[in-house]
This record gives sequence, structure tokens and C-alpha cells, in this order.
Amino acid sequence: MAESAPLRASSRPGTFARAWAKAVSGTSYLPMPQAQLEALLQRLADQLAAALRTEPFDVRPGHRVGTELVANHIASVEGLGRTVEVLQLRMIRDLGLVGDDVEDRMARLLAAVATGYARALRDRTLDEQESIRRAAMMARTQAERALRDSEARFRRQATHDPLTDLPNRVLFTERLTAALNEPGRGGQRIGLCFIDLDRFKVVNDSLGHQVGDRLLITVAERLRRALDGHLVARLGGDEFVILVERTGGTDDVVAVADAALAAVREPATVDGHELVVTASIGIAERQVAGTTPSDLMRAADSTLHWAKAAGGARWEVFDAERNRRELARYALSAAIPPALERGEFYLDYQPLTSLRDGSLLGVEALVRWRHPELGVLRPGSFIGLAEETGLIVPLGAWVLGEACRQAERWSAQGGRTPFVSVNLAVRQVHRPGLVQEVHDLLERTGLPPERLQLEITESTMMSTTEEPVRALRGLADLGVRIAIDDFGTGYSNLAYLRDLPVTELKVAGEFVAGLRAPAADPGSRTDERILASLVSLAHALDLTVTAEGVETAGQAQRLRAIGCDAGQGWHFGRPAPAERILERVG
Amino acid sequence: MQRPDWAPETIDIERPSVARMYDYYLGGSHNFAADRAAARAMVAAVPEAPLMAQANRAFLRRAVQFLTGAGVRQFLDIGSGIPTVGNVHEIARRTAPESRVVYVDVDPVAVAHSREILAGDDRAAVVQEDLRRPERILAHPDVRGLLDFDEPIAVMAVAVLHFIADDDRPAEILGVLRDALVPGSHLVLSQASDEGRSENERTEAQNVYRHTDNPLWVRSRPELTAFFDGFTLVEPGVVWVPQWRPESPESAEDAERSVFLGGVGRLGG
Repeated sequence: MAESAPLRASSRPGTFARAWAKAVSGTSYLPMPQAQLEALLQRLADQLAAALRTEPFDVRPGHRVGTELVANHIASVEGLGRTVEVLQLRMIRDLGLVGDDVEDRMARLLAAVATGYARALRDRTLDEQESIRRAAMMARTQAERALRDSEARFRRQATHDPLTDLPNRVLFTERLTAALNEPGRGGQRIGLCFIDLDRFKVVNDSLGHQVGDRLLITVAERLRRALDGHLVARLGGDEFVILVERTGGTDDVVAVADAALAAVREPATVDGHELVVTASIGIAERQVAGTTPSDLMRAADSTLHWAKAAGGARWEVFDAERNRRELARYALSAAIPPALERGEFYLDYQPLTSLRDGSLLGVEALVRWRHPELGVLRPGSFIGLAEETGLIVPLGAWVLGEACRQAERWSAQGGRTPFVSVNLAVRQVHRPGLVQEVHDLLERTGLPPERLQLEITESTMMSTTEEPVRALRGLADLGVRIAIDDFGTGYSNLAYLRDLPVTELKVAGEFVAGLRAPAADPGSRTDERILASLVSLAHALDLTVTAEGVETAGQAQRLRAIGCDAGQGWHFGRPAPAERILERVG
Repeated sequence: MQRPDWAPETIDIERPSVARMYDYYLGGSHNFAADRAAARAMVAAVPEAPLMAQANRAFLRRAVQFLTGAGVRQFLDIGSGIPTVGNVHEIARRTAPESRVVYVDVDPVAVAHSREILAGDDRAAVVQEDLRRPERILAHPDVRGLLDFDEPIAVMAVAVLHFIADDDRPAEILGVLRDALVPGSHLVLSQASDEGRSENERTEAQNVYRHTDNPLWVRSRPELTAFFDGFTLVEPGVVWVPQWRPESPESAEDAERSVFLGGVGRLGG
């Protein structure tokens, strides 16, 4: 802006400018020292003075001064009020202005200053409002973006495995559910491969978790690469799963499983260790319609266990019939504890007969289950299950207790009372406290120890621990008879016959079965020789021998000729309730 | 008070912001209705509030002028607020055009506004961070990128310490900042004080700020002086802000009504 002719030659602030500066000080923040403010106002005062004198009179300098005041941050309503006041009161007088119409001109000029000031202040206010709104919007946009990013990050964390970066169970279940529920896909087929590394725990235990983790990362990466196009997820631990959509049949999923097995099998170098791992895979493949995510997952999972049980490094395909059988077995094992409580088990006894004089030496207790729906079950249908699940411990304890209680009552009838022979499972022998339990049981029931025989299998002794040996010695010390059941079918380790307090060998029925054939039959002759050797070995060690599975008089005759001590089998009597067996006593 | 890292912030302009209230005191219009309502309540409680803010802003100006005169060319202004009239970079560059300035504020709107104002200025930057996390400020790439910590830096915490609770250990915060500086660096502090104030005034003022995100922590002269630990106070020490190197004797009149105490310290030799 071109400056009007100054009233004074000097720009040194005069009285008026100083008064003006004082008036506007504190009305708003002025980012300049007082001297600078006074200089500014002096300049503006000069312009106003010039305007008052200039012919023809022009109010526009008034506008400009108002605008410039605001531009220099003298920008508040108070600033305007004070400015109007000081101009009106002091300008004409302080500057010594004269003229007929000076008052008139002053009023018009003042109006122009006020108008210019107010307009500039209004514009400034609007500009500032606009700029702060814009800043708020930008900040909000940024905050929303940050929120979206953090949500996306959170979502990724929630749906991915941090170690391998593969989708996790959550995402996998989501995708599987979507694949099964998507409209119009009912006619398609879908498959799953449940993958578990074989003996992964050995890697972790022997090389450490870090190596284990790196191996998992390597396996994950290979699976991802080998099965591009299929969803590969890590379910946890060393368990992975592959979703195979739109399959044409089981073969498609088997091909995927083969690729997965090959990918895992490749040797991996982790931390300088050359590792070769294999995997087991359970495959479930079926039509989309009629299945659910949990059905399919369960099917693949149980199939995986079949592959594991078969030795690993293979896949197995889900088999509904096999699954049904296993479920039934599972249901049966689950029913054992309540059945024990409800007293659904009972004992039958099978005679152990002397081959020398036909007398009843003892009876073997055999457990039966009177199942409310399935009828009477023989041990073969539930003992194996009970052994797998550990339920053999309470069941075995019940059998032992019940046999001792019943056998004690027999002795009251006088005569040569038979002993009772009870099977002990491997787990029972391995439990600490067995000797004490038997001791307490004998004491409680009053059964003389020599009338209890415990039958153990050879596998009981195939243990690296001392526990079974110590238990058997303890039992023998109580005076209890100990028999090796099914002798001749296992490892038939002769060392423990020397070291252990065994009193009897029960020879497995399959040797005895050979004696049914004519004596001239070579096979029959071999069995007879084996049996004869066993008997002479046993007798040399002061052991008695009982032959199992004796079904005919001929077999009994030949066993007697060999020198076998006792026989057990249909020929001598089928398993029956105690009362029925005891009718023969005396 | 502090927002954890995982919680995204929200922008709520219905909630008064101390940065925008300060702008209002300075006569600016970079504020919203809620800010103005809170600021008016403050003025009702403490009528001098606008003068206090102006006096404090003038202290900032004089301090920056002093610092450029002392050869400082780098400024770290923490709690910079709405970068309205009388920015540090504007003041500094009037006498030292090569000055580099990093503004730091916790208020996202103030930061967005600063960013707009500083757009295209490669010797000034703004960082959204909290004074309570000095390590993060010092480690911020924009701070490291613009300021050379082998050269003197003026750290400014002007009219912000009264938003830092004693529990947040302001002395330790300043210690962390101090330890990052080389001799010749400076610390500029000012904060609200309750010296000479009545119980009523204090309570009313604190009530106003209780409704913002930043309640008020007034402190005494000895407390503020102690914050300069490790620094040598330049004359005249910790004083009412109008008394700090005033441009004219009369501008320091009624200084105690200004409520703000301030001072400048120099590090080392």
C-alpha cells in the first residue's frame, strides 16, 4: 500500500500513536514488542491524518487502516472499541488537525475504519473457524484410519497363528462354515486333511523348543507352497489342516494328502540339524449337504488317530463303519464306572482240575457284565477297553475283592477247598501299594493266602522298572500263589522263572489245541513235544503246570501222559456261578 | 488419563480442549463452542485468564528472542497447542532464518492444524506425542530427522507443565529430556502457579479444567525452580512471566496477576 504523505517527517511514535498502542494493548495477543506496535500505529495514524486532509475526501484509507489493524493481530472486538474511542477522542486534538469539515470527515473516516476492521475481523474469524474445522476433520479421518488399521491388525492377530503366520483355527472354522453353508453348494463335495507330525515331541524334547518352532515354521511354509490354492491352517501344536473345496471324490483329497506327506518328508535343516519328519493324515471327504463343520472336523480328527495308530507316515480315509464301532467301544468304556457302582458286574468260575485224580484244585474267576441294553458281556468285549482307558484298575480291584469274599465262604463248607485264581492286569501290578491292598484284602476277608492265586501275563514282566518284580516278591511273601498266564505265547523269558517266586505256569490253549489231532499228525507231535518240554522244565523248577483250553478226553489223556499237573477247559467244566462249581466239591 | 497404545483415539469436539481454550484466551477463533463455553467459565472464575495467556505468549516470544540471541537455532516446543499468532518458528526466523523447530502436542486436532500450517516447510515439523512419554518424543523420526542432538537445542514446555500430575513425575520427564541435550542447550518453562491466589479462585479454576482431558496442577515458585535441576537459570530466574526480561518497565506492572511463573535455564558451560 502506498503510504500517504506523512504528517511528520519522523516516524517516531508521537503522543497519539503511544496512546493508541496503550489502548489496544491487552485486547488480544500481539506478537510484537511495544515499540514495534507503536511504530505500526504511528504509520496508520499518518495515513488517517493524510486522508483527513486530502482533497477530494476519500474514506478508503479508513477501510485499509481497519483491515491492516486486524492483519497485524489487533483483532478483537475490544481492539475495535478502543480504536474507535481513541481516534474519536484524541486524533484531531493530538495531531492538531483543523478545518471546517474536519469533524464531519472524522466521523466518516471512523465509520470506514470500523467497517474495514469489522469486515476483516469477520473474515479472519470465519477463516480460523474453517481451518480449525478442517483440522478436526483431518484428525478425525486420521483417527478413523488408525482405528481401521488397528481393527485390521487385531483381526489378523485373532485369525492367524503368530508363529507360522498361517490362518488359525478361528479363521479355518469360519472358512469351513462358510464353505458348508453357502447357498447352492449342497451338491458339491468337500474334504479335509488333518495333519499331525509324527514324534514331533521328540524333536522338542531332544533339540529344544526353538528348534521345534523353527521346524514348524519350515513345515508350514512347505505346506503353504505345496498346497497353493487350498486353505492351510495351523490348529495348534504340530497339528495342521487343509481345506479342499469342490472335490470330485476322495481321490482328490488323497492327492492333496500325498502332496502334503511329500512336502513334510523332505529333509529340513534347522539350526544345523538335519531333520527328517513324517506326518500322519486323517482324510474326511463327503457331500456338502448334510454335513456340519464339527462333523467333518471330528471325522478327519479320528481318522488321523487311525493313521497314527497304524504307525504314522501315512494317510487314512474316514470309514463310517469303523468309526461307528469305535464310538460304540467308547460308549462302552464310558459306561464301566457307573456299571461298577450299580453292581452290573458279577463273577463266574471255571474249574482247574487235577489231571492225576480229577479233583477240583481251584477255580479261575471270570468277570461278566450284565449290561442293561446289550445283555451279558464276556471279558473279551470290555477288558481290552478297560485296559486302554485305565478303568481296569477299579474293575480289577473289584474282581479281586469279590473273588476273595466268595472264596472265603467256600472254606466254611469243609473238605479240600479249592483256591481261587484271579487275573491281574499289567496296570494293577505296576501300581504302588498293590501288596498292601492284597494284604488288607486277605485280612479283611479272612481268606488264607495260599487259597489265592494271582495270574499275570508275561507282558507284565516286560518292564524296565523294578516295580513289578518287587510287587511279585511282596505278594509271594504274603503266601499268595503266582501263576504265569498264557505261557509260551510271549517272550517266554526263562530268566524270570529262575528269579521270580512263581508257583505255576498256565500253558496257552493253542499248544493244547494241537493235541486234538491224531497223535501221528506231525504238527500234533510237535505241540506234544513242546508241552512235554515245558512240563519237564517247570517241574525242574518246582513249578506246577496247568494246561488251558482242554476240550476233549483225548487231550486230557495225552496231557496226563506228559505229566501235566492240571487242566482247564470245557472238558472239565464251563465257567459257571460258584454254587454250581462247588456242588462237585467233597 | 493416558490413552494406551492399543486404544485408538477418538476426536470429540464436544469436549473442551485446553489447546483451543488457550487460543480463545489469545483472541483466536480456532475453537469450538465447547471450548468457548469452558474458556468463558474460566474467565468468570479468573477474569485475568486472557491476560495471563497473552502474558505467557509474550514470555514465549521474549524467550525465543533471547535464545536466538544466545545462538540457539533448534527448538523443541512441547505442548505447542494451536500454532496461532506468534509461533516459535516465526519468532525465531525473524532473527535467525535457519532455525529449525519441532512442535509436539498430544491434541490430535492441534497437531492436524499445525501440520497444515507447516505444510511445505522443511525446517519445521509437528509430532503427536505426550510430554509424559519423553523417550518417545526423543526417539521420534521427525524429531531425530530435523534436530541435531549434537548441537544445542532449546526445549520448551511453556504453559503445559500444569497439565502434568505429580504422579506423572514431571521432574523425571524433564530429566530424560535434559540427558539428551548437549551443553549450550536451554530449557524454557512456564506454568500456572497458585502463589497469592485465594482458595476460591484455585478451586473454581480447577473445576473448569476438571471437565477437560487435562486437569490443572498449579505449582509454587520453589517447585518450578526445582524443575530446572541440572540447568543454570539465566537472569532473572523464575519470576512472574511479565517480569522475565520485559521490553519496558510498565509491561511488568501487576506482574503477579499473571498467574504464570516462568524461567529459562542453560545447560552446562
